[in-house]
Amino acid sequence: MKKNIVLAVPMGDPAGIGPEIVLKAIAHGDLAGKATIVVIGDQALLEKTAQDCALTFAFDMVVTTDEECAACLESGPDSILYHHRLVDLKKFSYGSIDGMCGRAAYECIAQAVRLTQMGLTKAVVTPPLHKESLKAGGIASIGHTEILGELTDTVNPVTMFETLGLKIFFMTRHLSLRQACDAVTRERLLKTILACDRLAKNSAFDQTKPLVVAGLNPHCGEHGLFGDEEMMEIVPAIEDARSAGVDIVGPVGADSVFHQAKMGKYKAVVSLYHDQGHIAAKTLDFDRTISVTWGLPFLRTSVDHGTAFDIAGKGIASSISMTEALSVALRYLKAQGV
Amino acid sequence: MAMKPIIGVLVGDATGVGPELVARLASKRFFDDLCRPVVIGDARVFELGMKIIGQKVPYQVISDVSEATWEQGIPLLDQKDLDPAVDFEIGKVSIKSGASVMNMISKAAELFLAKKIHGFTFAPFNKEAMKKAGCEFESEHHLLANIFGHTGPFGEINVVGDLWTTRTTSHIPIKDVSANLSVNTIMRAITLADTSLRNSGIAKPRLGLAALNPHAGEHGLCGREEIDVIAPAIAQAKAAGIDASGPYPSDILFIKAFRGDFDGVVTMYHDQGQIALKLKGFDEGITIAGGLPAPIATCAHGTAYDIAGKGIAGTRAFENAVKMTCRMASHMLAGGKV
Repeated sequence: MKKNIVLAVPMGDPAGIGPEIVLKAIAHGDLAGKATIVVIGDQALLEKTAQDCALTFAFDMVVTTDEECAACLESGPDSILYHHRLVDLKKFSYGSIDGMCGRAAYECIAQAVRLTQMGLTKAVVTPPLHKESLKAGGIASIGHTEILGELTDTVNPVTMFETLGLKIFFMTRHLSLRQACDAVTRERLLKTILACDRLAKNSAFDQTKPLVVAGLNPHCGEHGLFGDEEMMEIVPAIEDARSAGVDIVGPVGADSVFHQAKMGKYKAVVSLYHDQGHIAAKTLDFDRTISVTWGLPFLRTSVDHGTAFDIAGKGIASSISMTEALSVALRYLKAQGV
Repeated sequence: MAMKPIIGVLVGDATGVGPELVARLASKRFFDDLCRPVVIGDARVFELGMKIIGQKVPYQVISDVSEATWEQGIPLLDQKDLDPAVDFEIGKVSIKSGASVMNMISKAAELFLAKKIHGFTFAPFNKEAMKKAGCEFESEHHLLANIFGHTGPFGEINVVGDLWTTRTTSHIPIKDVSANLSVNTIMRAITLADTSLRNSGIAKPRLGLAALNPHAGEHGLCGREEIDVIAPAIAQAKAAGIDASGPYPSDILFIKAFRGDFDGVVTMYHDQGQIALKLKGFDEGITIAGGLPAPIATCAHGTAYDIAGKGIAGTRAFENAVKMTCRMASHMLAGGKV
């Protein structure tokens, strides 16, 4: 019998929409027959969420040990709940910052990482966490990617966006626009390009297409008429990268490059500042903008939205992003021949 | 019933897709329900457009708009200044074609000032050709402002679907954007959007303002322009009775805008809006000459040398530009201002 690809899914912060969108993604069954989803979470909490959100608690099996989990995987089910008792329902409420929930969310991630490093699961697909709940629970790391980095001793994991096949890397993230401009230097960009190129050797990328760097200034500065970073920093960095054997083109004006990438012209776009890539990805399809973390010992995809405390437990959260994160993970793993 | 406006239709730079776009729309009788069109350009260039699309369209050569009957084919004001047989090649920048474009613009502006036409739509120009032909202005909008003796605020407005976008800064280095943001410059862009939308018939336009920095600066954590200038400008606009709100993170703003939350968006820099608009409406976007005394619009795309002369150019953007010109002109005829 052909074995399914197995994805590990921690339930996310219990007080947010994480458990709800995980249950919905499983109930919709978009990956049924193609992948086995192993959710790591608290059974009582998930049952309560299912009830409150008028969803079916549709797991094929519930396990509590690695041995049971491994045995169940043999039959290729669509979904397994790996239960850990983590949440005291008497003290639980939706939509609040709670150390207990922060710790529970952390524990689920740690288990997902463990199962994946053991080889039982092949990738980790994550719903949202709440940073302040983590902090209240005594977790020092500030977010998902940092936690994953620490659990796997990874230095500098790299975040990429994937929106309907459009892949975007970021040179800088949370800098003011003014500081982001200063960060565009030949050395730093070359370093970024080389890092992206290494990651883009992964067969999840179309190897017949080049990487591309987005321009910084309007129309790439029109030969220095309005902005000279293209001439002084970006073009030299691209030439350095080419000399180092990287298949790369650019800079291409930011208002054209994403449209061209959408049409399939490039392997991935290297975006020079936060909003450049974010505007493109989210405008193209907000719900299907998925965050991919490279550089970990395994593939990780994630929704890019938050815990949405204001609508948690109401059954109205959209699971499109969660389903997309699962689908992208499956697609990448298949491309990698897993 | 109100008379349909008389609209000038400029064939644009003859080396690009302009002649075929104008001929195509004339052959489809696209203008009939919207306006009384007057083609402005050389009759031989219009003939060339018909040849490219392989259709014969009846037209009436006139030397003054008063001669137009709209019963003997589409009226054409013959410039007699450009001969396709000797003066230019399709797909190559031509000084003679640039000079012809300058004549077209002067003629259209002159006709508007003489109240012989109520607005005009132009097919794509080529800035390089205009410059080579002696145009000393940075864009056709500046040239028009000069002809009109217009000294008030004006600027490019980009429209995709029902969404209008104005920019606080445009063709400047992105590192200088921050220094160019002030309550005054932002207010100019707000006023331009508000006034132009009102002139197109929207009584109380809803405007969304973009932030400059990632996550709108996160309360000053990554940039202070939101606090220091954008929010005060919004407050001033509100005090002046304008329905302005924000600043919104720019990756969220366009989602809200395309969902219909706003009639107009005011961006802080060129690519902020252009990335989103080109992704959303590459084939349909238009540009309005905002702030000028006449209703003037064009398609957002350029001369498209790669496909010019083949008869395959899509007409959607140009059609939208004609529709918008007619909408603004009809509003003006009905007593509104431009």
